[in-house]
Amino acid sequence: MSVLIEAIGFGIALGAVIALGAVGFTVQFGISNVLNITYGALLTVAAYLGYYLLQLGWNVWVALAVTSVAMAVLSVIFNRLLLAPLSRRGTSFVGVVIVTVAAGIILQYCVVAVAGPDTVSYGQLSGSTVKFADLVFTTSQLIILAIAVVLMVALHMLLTRTQFGRAMRATSANPVVARGCGIDTDRVIDVTWLISGALCGAAGVALAISTVTFDFTLGPTFLIYMIAAAVLGGIGQPHGAMLGGMVVGVVSQVASAYSNPAYQDAYAFAVLILMLLIRPRGLFSAGTASARRLAG
Amino acid sequence: MRRRGTAFGMLAAGVAVSLAVAACGSSNGGKSSGSGSGPINVGVIGPMTGPAAEIGNLMSGACYAAVLDVNKAGGVLGRKLNCDLVDDTGDPADAVPNVTRALATTSNLDMAVGLESNTAATTIPLVNNAHIPMVSTNGLVAYDKTKDAYFWRMTPSDDQNGAAFVAWAQRKGYKRYAVVFQNNIGAQGNEPGVVAAVKKIGGTMTTNITIPGDASSYSSVVAKVLAGKPQALILAGDPQTSATFLSEYRQLNGGKVPPVVTSTDSITPAYFSAVKKVMGTAYVTHDMAFIGSFVSPTSPAFSIYKKAVYGASQIKDPATILGVGVIASIYDGINLMALAMDEAHSASGPVYNSKIEKIASGVPGAVVVNSYAAGLAALKAGKQIHYEGVDGSVTFNAYHNSPGNFSASGFTASGNPVLLGMIPGTEVQQLLS
Repeated sequence: MSVLIEAIGFGIALGAVIALGAVGFTVQFGISNVLNITYGALLTVAAYLGYYLLQLGWNVWVALAVTSVAMAVLSVIFNRLLLAPLSRRGTSFVGVVIVTVAAGIILQYCVVAVAGPDTVSYGQLSGSTVKFADLVFTTSQLIILAIAVVLMVALHMLLTRTQFGRAMRATSANPVVARGCGIDTDRVIDVTWLISGALCGAAGVALAISTVTFDFTLGPTFLIYMIAAAVLGGIGQPHGAMLGGMVVGVVSQVASAYSNPAYQDAYAFAVLILMLLIRPRGLFSAGTASARRLAG
Repeated sequence: MRRRGTAFGMLAAGVAVSLAVAACGSSNGGKSSGSGSGPINVGVIGPMTGPAAEIGNLMSGACYAAVLDVNKAGGVLGRKLNCDLVDDTGDPADAVPNVTRALATTSNLDMAVGLESNTAATTIPLVNNAHIPMVSTNGLVAYDKTKDAYFWRMTPSDDQNGAAFVAWAQRKGYKRYAVVFQNNIGAQGNEPGVVAAVKKIGGTMTTNITIPGDASSYSSVVAKVLAGKPQALILAGDPQTSATFLSEYRQLNGGKVPPVVTSTDSITPAYFSAVKKVMGTAYVTHDMAFIGSFVSPTSPAFSIYKKAVYGASQIKDPATILGVGVIASIYDGINLMALAMDEAHSASGPVYNSKIEKIASGVPGAVVVNSYAAGLAALKAGKQIHYEGVDGSVTFNAYHNSPGNFSASGFTASGNPVLLGMIPGTEVQQLLS
C-alpha cells in the first residue's frame, strides 16, 4: 500500500508540471482554435531563457516569473506575425498545424544554434524533502503544484466569472458570430496568446527544474504529455487539463512502481485512449469549436 | 477537391523522384575506388549532429589525429589522406540515406571508421557491400560472430563491457548491485554481460530495471532501487537521464548515493557537466568509474597518439579524446588500414583488406612498429611489420574481433578522464564463460 501511495505522490508532482503546460495549451487551443505544435519548442526556449537568467545569479522563482512574461510577449508576436495572417488568408486547420510543426522545428534549430546541442542544467533546485504519511515531495515540487493550482483556478474564474471570459468563450465557440455581437475578437485572441504564452514560460522552467538537466529536445518531448492531458481533460477546460495532467503523471508513476518502467508511457497513453473511448470529448467537455473538431 | 488532387500528385511525384535518385545513387556508387588519384578519403561515419553529436566529435578527432600523422609521413601510396565526415545523426533511419549518398558520391572513399552501435546494424552492411574495409566502434553483440569480410573491431562488444562493469565493482568490494539501464541499444547491450557476470561471481542483483530516456521523473524507479539497498549502481544512460536519476536518488535517500559503474561512452564533457551540476564534484571524481577499452598511457604508441591529438588543429578538446579508449581504436584503425594499403600497393578494399590482419597480428620475424611513419619506413626497407598501436597488440579472431583489455577511468576535478585501473580481458572472458 505504501508503494502505491508513494507512487501517487510522485505522480502528482510530475502531473503538476505537465498540468502547468497543459493548462496553457488547452486555453490556447480552446479559444484560438489553433493546434499549436510550436508550443513544444517554445517550452524549450523558456527553459533556456530560465537557464540564462539563473546563470546571471537570479533566484529560480524570479526567473520563472520573468520567463513567463517574456514568453507571453513572444507568444503574442508569434501569433500576430505568423498564425494570424494564415488564418486571415483562410489557411485550413491542418495547414496551420503543419506550419506550427515547421515553425517548431525551425525554432528548435535556432535553439541549437544559440545554445548548442549539449545538455545544460539548472542544478539541484529541488529543495528539502517534505513527507506526508507515505507521500514524498520536494519543496520545489510543492511550489510548482501550488502555481499550477492557482493559475488553473484563476483561469477558470476568468473564463466563467468575468465579462472578458465570456467574450473568450464566445470567440472560441464561433468567432464570426462573436465579432458580429461586437466582441473585439482580435483583442481576445491576443490576450489568449498572452496567457498561454505565460503558462508556457512557467511550464518550461518548471519542466527544467523537474528534469534537472535538459537539452534542445526538452519541449517537444513533453508536449505530447501536455496535449494528452489537455485532450483528456476536455479542450478549453483549465481544470480538465489540470486533472488530465494528474492522470497522466499518476498513471505513469504507478505503472513504473508496479511494472517495467520502460513501458510507463504506454500505460499512460493506454489510459488516455480508454478514457476517450468512454468520453470522446474528454472528462469535462466544452462547446468550443476545437473540442468539437477533436471529437469529430 | 481538384487542388487536393494536385497536391497529392505533386507529393507522389516528389516521392517518386526521391526514390529514383536514391536508387540511382545506390546502384552507381558504393564500391571501393582502389587505384586513383587525389586524396584517399576516410569515411568517419557517426553522429555529427543531434543529441549524440559528441560521439561524432570524438570520432572525427581521432581521424584528424591519424590523418595528421599519415600525411606527415608522406601519405599513403603518395596520396594524402582526408577525413570525410558522414553524419549518421545517431538514427538508423537517417543513417541509411546519408551513408548511401556518401558511398555514391564521395570519390576515393577507401576506408571507413566509426559506425557506432545506434546505427551499426544499418550502416555496416552498406559499407561492407561497397567492399570498403572499416574499423567499427560499435558494441553490438551481433557483430561478435559476423561474417562481414570488411568489418574489423578492436574494441569489446557491449556484453563484454557489461561483464567488465561487474569485474570492476567486485574489485572494489561491492556485492550488491542495482542495475539500471536506459532503453537504448548501447545500454541494453551491456545487460546480458552484467547479469551473467553477477551470477558467476555469486553477487546479488538487487534490481534490474530498464528506464525510458529523458523522463521528467524517475521517482518511482528510484524508490524501487532504494528498497534493494544496493552497494553500487551499475547505471547506463545519457547525461540527462543519468543526472535526473541520480538527483532524485539523492533526494529520496537523504543525500546519499552509492558509487556508479558505467561505460566510457559516458566519459564526455556533457556527462561530466550534467552530473557534476547535480551531484557535486566530489561525487563525480570519487564515486564514478567508467569502463571501456584499455589504452595504456605509458605505451610508445600513446605518446605518438597524444602528440597527434594535440597537434591536429581541428581538435578542440584533446584531453577528452585521449581519455576515451574506444576512440583510440579509430586512430589505430586508420594507421592499420593505411599500412595495409602500403603493403598491398593498392587502396582497393578487396586488395588491401587481407593485409589488415597480417599487419595487426604480425608474422614471425616481423618488426614491431608503433606508428604509421615507422611502419611505412619498415615496409619501404622491405621488412614485414607488426603494428602495435595505442590499443596494444591486436589479435583478431575468425570474426575480425579483438576485444583486448578493459580500463576503468574516472574524472578529474576539471572533467578530464583519468585512468583508475586495468581489467584484463581474460578476467572478463572468464566471467562470461
